[in-house]
Amino acid sequence: MNQLLQQLVNGLSIGSVYALMAVGYSLVYSIMNFSNFAHGGVIMLGAYFGFFGLTLLKLPFAAAFILASVGTAVLATLIERVAYKPLRDRKAPFLYFIISAMGASILLENVVIATIGPTFRTYPEIFAREPIALGSLAIGRLDLIMFFVSAFCLACLILFIDKTRIGKAIQASAYNMKACALMGVNTDLVVLIVFALGGFLAGIAGVFFGMKYTVYPQIGNITTKSFIAAVFGGLGSLPGAVIGSVLLGVIETLVAGYLSSQFRDLIAFVILIGVLIVRPTGIMGKTAEDKA
Amino acid sequence: MLSVRDLYVSYGGIRALKGVSLEVNKGEIVTIIGANGAGKSTLLNTISGFLKPQKGEVLFNGLRLGRQPAKIVKAGICHVPEGRLVFANLTVHDNLVLGAYLRRDRKAIAEDLDKVYGLFPRLKERMRQPAGTLSGGEQQMLAMGRALMTNGDLVLMDEPSLGLAPLLVQTVFDIIEEIRGLGKTILLVEQNAFKALHVADRAYVLEQGRIVKEGRACDIANDPAVRDAYLGTKSKGGGGVA
Repeated sequence: MNQLLQQLVNGLSIGSVYALMAVGYSLVYSIMNFSNFAHGGVIMLGAYFGFFGLTLLKLPFAAAFILASVGTAVLATLIERVAYKPLRDRKAPFLYFIISAMGASILLENVVIATIGPTFRTYPEIFAREPIALGSLAIGRLDLIMFFVSAFCLACLILFIDKTRIGKAIQASAYNMKACALMGVNTDLVVLIVFALGGFLAGIAGVFFGMKYTVYPQIGNITTKSFIAAVFGGLGSLPGAVIGSVLLGVIETLVAGYLSSQFRDLIAFVILIGVLIVRPTGIMGKTAEDKA
Repeated sequence: MLSVRDLYVSYGGIRALKGVSLEVNKGEIVTIIGANGAGKSTLLNTISGFLKPQKGEVLFNGLRLGRQPAKIVKAGICHVPEGRLVFANLTVHDNLVLGAYLRRDRKAIAEDLDKVYGLFPRLKERMRQPAGTLSGGEQQMLAMGRALMTNGDLVLMDEPSLGLAPLLVQTVFDIIEEIRGLGKTILLVEQNAFKALHVADRAYVLEQGRIVKEGRACDIANDPAVRDAYLGTKSKGGGGVA
């Protein structure tokens, strides 16, 4: 029982970081209908931005955090402008977007290898290693902070999408970009905002991943998990991405705890295949159609 | 109010408009009739800025329109698209509020919202429902109400009666007249030529990307060639549905 609770806590913590990344996939998918595989590269650079902010610039933790997330927000919008906007202007088929996204992802990874180098780097220790004891549970300080910061950011994002004028325009664009433009919405700006939001959260996730594990050019591969989580929850749905991520995080830690950590990555892909076979729209995928 | 001059537009590799010119004056209902694929929707989509003309221009109140759809809405042209395209994931109310996206004057927006709900009481009853749960006719009303919320002076309507039950078709045309009563000018594209000519002041007949006839709607409705091709009132009475 105790071990179960402990695994649940760990799962929630890692799941919440998956969620930060998964909403980036979901936001872009919801308005552009393709999976932005360059997102992993953005997360990876977020980890580097945070790392250099702390080590080279000797910034305080919060400042490094902001540097990383603003940096990735800018990077994500840049990728949109360079890799996707020319395709959007030509109304290219979605396959081209995916190819362009993969290209951007490979480019980012290799630019980092060429300039920063392929070595693994470890974040300086920010939080004390010894966990907080809560009854018989031991909760890592970093895990706790990861959970609360992620939950806070996700809550802000959902409020933004649900309550603000631009948030409504994003939802409307997700349903139909042309009709949204007919309302006078600058849909080009909506796309940029969506990439900036996804990029911002990717930066935060990148820093957390760097702190929890290490920083290296292929760290973006971990984000495959968050993509799986987004598919699991239903691509294009924000609550779906969050639920899918938390579930995936919990399932993974339970598998690692009770079976073997060898199976941890396996289970993620088993879930992906299972979801695609049984319910391709995921838990909360969009299905509503307008009547002709 | 709107003048389209010698417009050439290609769409999907096909030249869809080949030198179309037309005028819409303030307060008029002007209809464009023509068969499927004649270029009617292409024309509206070009006016709204979704397609770029190879040649020709669109003037609105004497000014050249910008290229961006959002700027064209701001200039005062609203467009009720073919297939309604209501935001099925948002409530009826949110759909209407989005129509006022570019407007800042809360009081005027609230007044217009009341006007739209007055025009479409059904929408008021369902204001908290997701638009996707509305019937086809209700979605058409919502699409029209949403366009009115932009407060544009010129309303472009693309096939508003498409896919609606016969009873609702009449309702839609009644609403078009009511919208004119609100002081709007309307450019109506329709396949239901009979009803469209009935409600319109003037009409253009579009065939394969060219305007082949224009004139007062009643004259066009009595034109023998138009009657044969679009109104199905040929004396031989071949394809009548009993």
